[in-house]
Amino acid sequence: MDRILSNIRTLQTPVLLIVLLAIVSGLASLTGSDAMATTIAEMMIRVVVVVGLYVFIGNSGIISFGHISFMCIGAYAAAWMTAAPTFKQIMLGGLPAWLQTEQYPFLVAMAFAAVLPAIVGLALGGAITRLGGIACSIATFAFLMITNSVYANWDSVTAGVSSIIGIPTLVGPWVAWVFAGVAILAAWFYQISRHGLMLRATRDDPVAAQASGINLVKARLGAFVLSAALVGLGGGLYAQFLGILTVDPFYLGLTFITLAMLVVGGMSSLTGAVIGVIGVTIIVELLRMFERGSMGPITLPPGSQELGLGILMALILVLRPTGLSGGRELKLFGRSRPAAPAAPEAAQAAPAE
Amino acid sequence: MQAPPARHAPPLDRPGASDDAELGVENLTVRFQGLAAIDDVSLKMQRHEIFGLIGPNGAGKTTLVNCLTGFQKPTEGRVMMAGRDITGWAPTEFRRHGIARTFQAGRLFPEMSVLENAEVTGVGLGQSRRTAQAEAKELLDWIGLGDKLDVPASALAYTDQRRLGIARAMMLSPAFVLLDEPAAGMSDSECEDLMEIVQAIPKAFICGVLLIEHNMRVVMGICDRIHVLDGGKTLAEDVPEAIQRHEAVMAAYLGMEA
Ligand SMILES: Nc1ncnc2c1ncn2[C@@H]1O[C@H](COP(=O)(O)OP(=O)(O)OP(=O)(O)O)[C@@H](O)[C@H]1O
Ligand SMILES: [Mg+2]
Repeated sequence: MDRILSNIRTLQTPVLLIVLLAIVSGLASLTGSDAMATTIAEMMIRVVVVVGLYVFIGNSGIISFGHISFMCIGAYAAAWMTAAPTFKQIMLGGLPAWLQTEQYPFLVAMAFAAVLPAIVGLALGGAITRLGGIACSIATFAFLMITNSVYANWDSVTAGVSSIIGIPTLVGPWVAWVFAGVAILAAWFYQISRHGLMLRATRDDPVAAQASGINLVKARLGAFVLSAALVGLGGGLYAQFLGILTVDPFYLGLTFITLAMLVVGGMSSLTGAVIGVIGVTIIVELLRMFERGSMGPITLPPGSQELGLGILMALILVLRPTGLSGGRELKLFGRSRPAAPAAPEAAQAAPAE
Repeated sequence: MQAPPARHAPPLDRPGASDDAELGVENLTVRFQGLAAIDDVSLKMQRHEIFGLIGPNGAGKTTLVNCLTGFQKPTEGRVMMAGRDITGWAPTEFRRHGIARTFQAGRLFPEMSVLENAEVTGVGLGQSRRTAQAEAKELLDWIGLGDKLDVPASALAYTDQRRLGIARAMMLSPAFVLLDEPAAGMSDSECEDLMEIVQAIPKAFICGVLLIEHNMRVVMGICDRIHVLDGGKTLAEDVPEAIQRHEAVMAAYLGMEA
């Protein structure tokens, strides 16, 4: 009995978050419009991506500007597996034969969309997690630019500036919801594992973490690889949601909006990552409606969406730095411990004192 | 104060495992931009003693502790444990081999709970969360934080923060623990309470204690031997009674206190 109770207590947060997403999705689908279904599917995919971001950024405290590269790598990985062989043979002559001539099932493509970015993440992470802090963040930004220019110019495997077409569109709101659930559970189990605990210690104080026997690079690398895999999975879903793929979406715009989601929700809890996606999606949709003039007398000029989001993010950073979630996890029973404000000494720089 | 937990089973492959193992430095020099913070210092501490390290502000005490725990690479000289040259090891290696420390600035993990703060050392040293939690609870009970397990470390009163720092360092029974001004900023009675804990460490854990402390009455009361630094150089090393009679020490340090 105790055992069951403690399991429920342990699992309540991810389960509640998954249920919350189902409720939002269910309510939205009551409108019955296609546009709404598209919005919901896209929101679920962003949950996968932002939860993936959270695994690294939230637990390590290091901002990454490069994770959308993993989304790009995952999207192309899925496209390579599932696009029509006739198209691949004509347009993607640089692909190995096993990709060019075959069309793989959806789940195999999703697995590839997670594994390939994870491998890239392992190689990259091995180098940059040694840097730590701001240097690591800048290196991730360089990675974003490199990936973007490689994928935009490597014509024989990415079709360069033209697009890959004929990707089966198998991802709708509920399929994406299932994957959002998988991402949430993966992030949760990582967070409560010994590896998650060690990484949070390095976030709070990297110097003291070493005095506790924690290897900074190893702790960060594990989260980096898992996070690359989840964001890549989000990319794979996105490819099979759109049905047509170019490199354009995987750059600054998406980097900004996903980070905004994490900041608005609160980047030090999984709950923050999820409600950040929901909150920002709702606000962006409302602003879009105003832009289109479908909200009655008030019509906002184009660009209000980006502006509104920028203002919202600034307001959150100033008024509630821990985000909408305040660093707490969603819980029905048991304590919900607030994330305490960082003590001044944690802000001190490196030399051990 | 509760009885200290009677558990002492360090892994045998630890160089500090034998009870008479020594930790020390030989001809240690540390220079920062040419300025010597430590200048040709040698010392050696044993596993059954409380070894006091005193000296005025800026004498190099923290720098020496940083060298003894891998956080500072010596410019010259060697760090030795149980006859083995361990200069150049990473801080995590020092900890894995049973050399633990606290920080002058506390450096707790502010967003983590009291329990997690102690637990994470066990986890960092390879324990499962469950095992580490059990050991952490035992230690926290002993040190008087057993009723605050779920409080975020940053919400603790100052004296409790210092206690937590010590509990975190004592996980998995280190062979040596280096305490950098654990009682700084405490009132006399708070300081005495804390020193009762410090005093119990060598017997309860078979663990040598290096204690940096400015309160002379405390230092003279509980240390077995005292090493005095001034301007990075060794001024004296002796038993408390002799240090109290040492003229250069009195002039350089104790006179200042009075
Ligand atoms: N990382 C560093 N870079 C440059 N100088 C340093 C560094 N760390 C310490 N020092 C200098 O080395 C000298 C010794 O400092 P240390 O912190 O070891 O003294 P301390 O005995 O611990 O003093 P306190 O009692 O104030 O803690 C000081 O002059 C200090 O300014
Ligand atoms: Mg000091």
